[in-house]
Amino acid sequence: MPTLKKTLLLFTILSTLTFAKLNVVASYPYLGKIVQAIGGDNAHVKVLASPKRDPHFVIPKPSLIPAITRAQLLVANGAGLEIGWLPPLLKSANNPKVRIGSEGFLDISRAIHLIDVPKSVSRAMGDIHPEGNPHFDTDPHNVLPMAKRIAQKLIALDASHKKVYQDNLKTFSQKWKQFLASFDAGMKSCKGKKVIQYHELYNYLLRRYGIKSVANIEPLPGIAPSSKHTLELIQQMRKEHITTILQDPYHEKKTARFIAGKTDAKVVVLPHDVGSVSGTKSLESFYNTIKERLCQ
Amino acid sequence: MTKKLIILSLCASTMLSAQSELEELKALLAQQMKMTQALQKRVVQLEKKQAIQSKITKRQDNKIRETKKQIAVVQTQKEEQPTVQAAATFDQKSFLPDIALILNGSTVARNVPNSTYASYYIPGFSTYNANTPMVIPFNKERGFNFNYAELALHSTVGPWFDADAIFHLRSNSFDIEEAYLTTRALPYALKAKLGQFRSNFGRINAKHQHSWHFSSQPLVFEAMLGSEGINDAGVQLQWVLPTEDTYVMAGFEALQGINDVSFGDTETNNLYIGYLKSSFDITDDTTALLGASILHGKNLYGFSTDIYGADFTVKTALDGYSSLLWQSELLYRNKKTTTDTQKQAGFYTQFIYQYDQNWAAGIRYDDLYKNLDTQPNNLDKYTAMLEYKPFEFTKFRLQYTYDKSKVFGINNERKNTSEILLGVTIEAGAHGAHAF
Repeated sequence: MPTLKKTLLLFTILSTLTFAKLNVVASYPYLGKIVQAIGGDNAHVKVLASPKRDPHFVIPKPSLIPAITRAQLLVANGAGLEIGWLPPLLKSANNPKVRIGSEGFLDISRAIHLIDVPKSVSRAMGDIHPEGNPHFDTDPHNVLPMAKRIAQKLIALDASHKKVYQDNLKTFSQKWKQFLASFDAGMKSCKGKKVIQYHELYNYLLRRYGIKSVANIEPLPGIAPSSKHTLELIQQMRKEHITTILQDPYHEKKTARFIAGKTDAKVVVLPHDVGSVSGTKSLESFYNTIKERLCQ
Repeated sequence: MTKKLIILSLCASTMLSAQSELEELKALLAQQMKMTQALQKRVVQLEKKQAIQSKITKRQDNKIRETKKQIAVVQTQKEEQPTVQAAATFDQKSFLPDIALILNGSTVARNVPNSTYASYYIPGFSTYNANTPMVIPFNKERGFNFNYAELALHSTVGPWFDADAIFHLRSNSFDIEEAYLTTRALPYALKAKLGQFRSNFGRINAKHQHSWHFSSQPLVFEAMLGSEGINDAGVQLQWVLPTEDTYVMAGFEALQGINDVSFGDTETNNLYIGYLKSSFDITDDTTALLGASILHGKNLYGFSTDIYGADFTVKTALDGYSSLLWQSELLYRNKKTTTDTQKQAGFYTQFIYQYDQNWAAGIRYDDLYKNLDTQPNNLDKYTAMLEYKPFEFTKFRLQYTYDKSKVFGINNERKNTSEILLGVTIEAGAHGAHAF
């Protein structure tokens, strides 16, 4: 009997322990990684979007709803990236804690200085983001400001583990600064390089390391490539001797290959998020893969 | 003697000279005193002057400071001016609701003249009455149709409620499609809705025409619930169950029951609807959604009508932009009248292939497989469509329909209808993302 009582007691303690974890939902895998690094054992993290798919067009599967219903914190990329799929999930989750604007909703784009903010906005310009370019995760220098903001939020929601979150942030920051030093060194050789890209997905990275993005394969954001635009692009690339085409993993690669065939350029598939191509399971390997494919 | 004399004279002279020196000194002293006095006077004068000057400079300093302040104020005003212009005093722009405008129209070719078409009924489910022409809300005319301009407003109206209103504007009518409040802060994963709204039972009833996969309503919904479906005044409560990865939602609605095709005894509110929905992932890319519903109300005969509904949806993502969707719904109706109990049933099943972001194609089969004993039960309909979206908010659809369910009352003839439709839908303004 005593053993039974003990196991029961242990069971209740364990279950309350697992219950005490902060339920966090992150919209994209890279955010999940940062939250896990700061939250450590105190956070139970669930990622909504698959890294294999276009981050703009995630299928709002109802199976994603229960996690949002349970969550105390939802970390979103923001800057309009989730506008096509997160609102209906939030609406169906019936959870006032993580409603947009409440304490448990964190728009991480507020921690970043956004670039490419359009001076004027019209749907005639395609699917543009009025707030600025939302793809800031491609620049590893944006990771620390995000980590700091996430730590602040975790502390605000779970003050009893303040010390843990602070320590985790400190450890993570030290590690990340070291990583950035080696990353920056590796990117030096790329300075001055000219590239074209499918969508303006890598602007933060390219700008940071002095790489010039000359043009895009899609004529306007969210508009599929047209033959007229593609032919113009080929002429421009020949004239300016551009030999690198940056391609995301999820769009069709036919157009990029066609252009490459006409210009002797190389198609470089760059990951846009953690886990989007093989060998990018961690934040470090994600950025290292970008570096290796772009600069080596 | 001479020596003495010399000494004396010397002495005297020295004394004399001493005396004269003293006098000289005295004179000098007097002079100097005069000078110092003069100097003192000048000093006093100068001091006075300085005091005045310092007062002046102080005043000047003050003046400079003030002008600097004024400049600063002017500058800040200048800096603030754009925002002042953008948001004038008591400006309320930031509280404007999200506004969406949706336009829908079509061109139709059909093997039935317009006057005949307007008299159709579905045997066993509806009848023809020459005095009260039937409402056909969409794509009624051969030739061109402007179906509606839909105006949708959404706004948060306080910490507790969101408000939504959807209006349909047509050339000769203004219809309130929906207008309701939704709670924002209920605990325990609950949400309540009150107002006039489309019931959330099943799959297609809650959706607006422009978000359907086909331009026409499924036959079983038209037969049992009319062209409007269940769109009624009342209250709704929904609860998301605390499950792990399987989505389970229970809903309950109490409505007035104005739908007179199946209900309509509105001496008091008469319609109650309950439903259960569940969804789970079969694989990472394949999701299933199942639903069961019961509608219980009172019909125009004063007796009860029960409708049992079941729905089943499977969606597989082939890649980020391509998917397969299979969706089916079945309704079974038990309608008591003064003379008998009518048992009728029908279903639709549709298959949609989303090829990429621009192109999609689909087929649908509709069947009313159970009818009254005296009525035909071979009422069915075939529909196929091809959809092209040059941009997310612009949709063209080519649709072919072969309909074997209609009888035309004007000459009381059952005739199969063929229809080719080219429809267009434009969405402007705030974009409401589509749910699963």
